[in-house]
Amino acid sequence: MRYVKWTFLALIALLVFGFLHYTLPQRDIVRIVNTEVRRVDFGENSIFWAAPDVGTASTTTNRDVRFIEAIRPNGKPIVYRNEDTGWGWPPYFKLDSSNLQAEARDLVSTKEAPQWVAVRHYGWRNEFLTIYPNAVGVKPVDGPEVRLIPVLNIFILTLLVALLAFLWRVWAQFRERTIDPLLEDAEETWDAVDERADAARDKARGLWGRLMGWLGKRRR
Amino acid sequence: MLGLLRLAGFGALALILLYVMVSVYSRSVRREKLEDRAAEKISEGTLAAEDRDDYIETGMAAYEHSLRKKLIWGVIVVPTLTVLVLIYITNFM
Repeated sequence: MRYVKWTFLALIALLVFGFLHYTLPQRDIVRIVNTEVRRVDFGENSIFWAAPDVGTASTTTNRDVRFIEAIRPNGKPIVYRNEDTGWGWPPYFKLDSSNLQAEARDLVSTKEAPQWVAVRHYGWRNEFLTIYPNAVGVKPVDGPEVRLIPVLNIFILTLLVALLAFLWRVWAQFRERTIDPLLEDAEETWDAVDERADAARDKARGLWGRLMGWLGKRRR
Repeated sequence: MLGLLRLAGFGALALILLYVMVSVYSRSVRREKLEDRAAEKISEGTLAAEDRDDYIETGMAAYEHSLRKKLIWGVIVVPTLTVLVLIYITNFM
């Protein structure tokens, strides 16, 4: 039973961590090598794609998606998609995919004369599902060793913890002031019912006992 | 447009729920504090036991007009402003 409990808790923790890791913004320092547009048919991975550009039709099963291809400082490739999140989840309110594509295109550089760029994005790259992180912003930086402090994430996570603590306080106050008095009332009522039931049972036993006693006498 | 309306609708619903929760909580905390203060005053002898309910109701009436109660509107105003600022920062900066 203990293993079941811990497995369950670990799964929940993993789910929360995964959710936050997917949704919160991260910044990579990369060198952009190309930008392109290609048509994507969404299949079982459709949950990992955002929305069509705000204002355009949203009922299509496939559409053109902008991509930003880049190389990490360690030489490995990373490909971002560049989609509007629009008014949906996650709440980045990104409406400017076309503009971002132009900015990214402007920052394309070669291996010989690299222009390093911090790409703010959310999401995961996964080859098995063919999913890509969604780029939210690009900003030129001095070099691949620049230290970026995730101020926004620190702020968001602090806010989240504060919100949870506050909800806990609200619940504790509600329990103390509203539920507990109700339960006490119910307990008193129940006690009264219980007493009456006890009395009735004693009475019934008396009757039954007399009956049994009478039967016993008859049999003898 | 539909997406924006959906966001506005559900957002308003969530924020109103939050506002109600916070205001009920804040009122409850204030009442508890007044009860404690009344009990203290009664044990000190500065408040007659039969004036306890009066004391609490006066305190709650004062709370209804307090700055603290008006500040609770912040739970609706601040997230709305945050969204507007976020839209500006993400798309136009």
